[in-house]
Amino acid sequence: MILRNLKFALNSAWQSFWRNLAVSLAAVLSITLILILAGINLLVGHAFAQVLDGFRTKVSEISINVSDDTPLQTVYDFQAQLAADPRVVTVTFVTKDEALREFKSDPQNAILATQIEGNPLDAKLDVRVKNLNDVAAIDAMGRQWSGVDPTDPTNYQGDFVNRMLDLSEWLAIAGVALLIVLMIVSVVIVMNTIRTAVYHRRKEIEVMKLVGATEWFVRGPFVLEGIMTGLIAAAIALALLAVAYEPAVVQFKSDVGFIPLSYDPAFISSLARDLLIAGALLGAVGSYIGVRRYVRI
Amino acid sequence: MVLTPDFDTRPVISFQHVHKTYPTGTEALRDVNLEVPQGDFLFLVGPSGAGKSTLVRLLIREEKPTRGKIFVDGIELGRMKRRKLPHYRRKVGLVFQDFKLLPNLTVYENVAFAMRVLGEPDHKVKARVAEALDTVSLSGKEQTYPANLSGGEQQRVAIARALVHAPRFIIADEPTGNLDPATAWEIMQLFLRINARGATVVMATHNREIVDLLRRRVIAIDAGKIARDDRSGRYHDDLAKPQVRAQ
Repeated sequence: MILRNLKFALNSAWQSFWRNLAVSLAAVLSITLILILAGINLLVGHAFAQVLDGFRTKVSEISINVSDDTPLQTVYDFQAQLAADPRVVTVTFVTKDEALREFKSDPQNAILATQIEGNPLDAKLDVRVKNLNDVAAIDAMGRQWSGVDPTDPTNYQGDFVNRMLDLSEWLAIAGVALLIVLMIVSVVIVMNTIRTAVYHRRKEIEVMKLVGATEWFVRGPFVLEGIMTGLIAAAIALALLAVAYEPAVVQFKSDVGFIPLSYDPAFISSLARDLLIAGALLGAVGSYIGVRRYVRI
Repeated sequence: MVLTPDFDTRPVISFQHVHKTYPTGTEALRDVNLEVPQGDFLFLVGPSGAGKSTLVRLLIREEKPTRGKIFVDGIELGRMKRRKLPHYRRKVGLVFQDFKLLPNLTVYENVAFAMRVLGEPDHKVKARVAEALDTVSLSGKEQTYPANLSGGEQQRVAIARALVHAPRFIIADEPTGNLDPATAWEIMQLFLRINARGATVVMATHNREIVDLLRRRVIAIDAGKIARDDRSGRYHDDLAKPQVRAQ
């Protein structure tokens, strides 16, 4: 009996979708647009998170420069002290020679490296800090240490780091807010599509009620129609995004080279899952609210 | 005081001090008391706006009484839960002036629709639809669409749809209102046959000739009150005839 009812519901949902093709298409297109916006939001968020992750590992690492006349034992003591600190992940001692080799190995410094005489570089302690918020404290520790190079104590950039973190938080909040607004808009669009569908079928609904159909038997097809609308829209949005994703990243990279954005094909499958679930859910919620309002026995 | 008819059966429909006031303030029914025994055939007559339609709407639970109680088959309609409503409506056969057929379905599909919405299996639907169409003499017209049928035939399809659940009572709201006299008479014969098989029939009508000819129970409603309840009445009050009067 459940199967027969489901068959009936699927049939009438499909018929209703085609009978009000203009309205159905308008709804599909609007929701496609909304899901594309949501998808772009997710893609940009993902790219930004990738960039930020790289950035985070970079800024959670500070170098404390050691002045040339510091005895090696003092350096080792301080290294041990840092390593024992619970906030610190690792401490690596980089000697003057190693620092120079490191500097020369970077192709960006190729020209500069040929002009260097002797070794102007400091030895340094590379400290990786567990939590970004503790970087400032470790930096302060380094600056107070007796063996630090007073002219260039650390490579910590303080304010800049905090600003970037604030910005990323605001962007995340803005992204979520945008997603919420988009969701509400699509639920309202589905609701109105369902209202039109209900209006077109009002005679049939009336007869169904009079012959004793249950409320959910009458409502079921409309909810299915909503889910169908959402899924079709999600599929179109996904196809367009998948096609446009790689060229967009390539274009962006050539325009704004300094932001290390990358194409991540694995993200498409997670995007597919998110968009299809979102489409089906939006359709279901929109039509559910719609039928609760417009289909009463 | 309500007079119970002299043959003693459990009333299938019972109105007890029913009042209905619409939210607009219109007082549609005032203190209506009514008992309908199983197997009764009853005409509801009265001018337009007297409250006939409200009474019908209360009976199919499209409206709830403002005060008073309505019992149908032992169930109090005013207190029935919403989810029980579909089950109640399956026990009632409904026939309307405008037939309420679905134009995009064939005769067969229109009648079968009443069973499809209950999720009944195909073989059961087939047998019952054939039986119902046979009762209304429309066998052979299964694949025809309502638009290609006469008014009388369309009403017979609607009656077949009402019968397909084998309801214990039929509520008909002006079933002959859109039909010419000869066809109206055919439809009435059909209702009489259904009634003779044991179904209770409540019919709201403006058709004076039919009411006067059949001499069945007549309830006249005027300005929201039962003005008359005659065991074998006429459309208009006729004091020359012996009557059983209510109130």
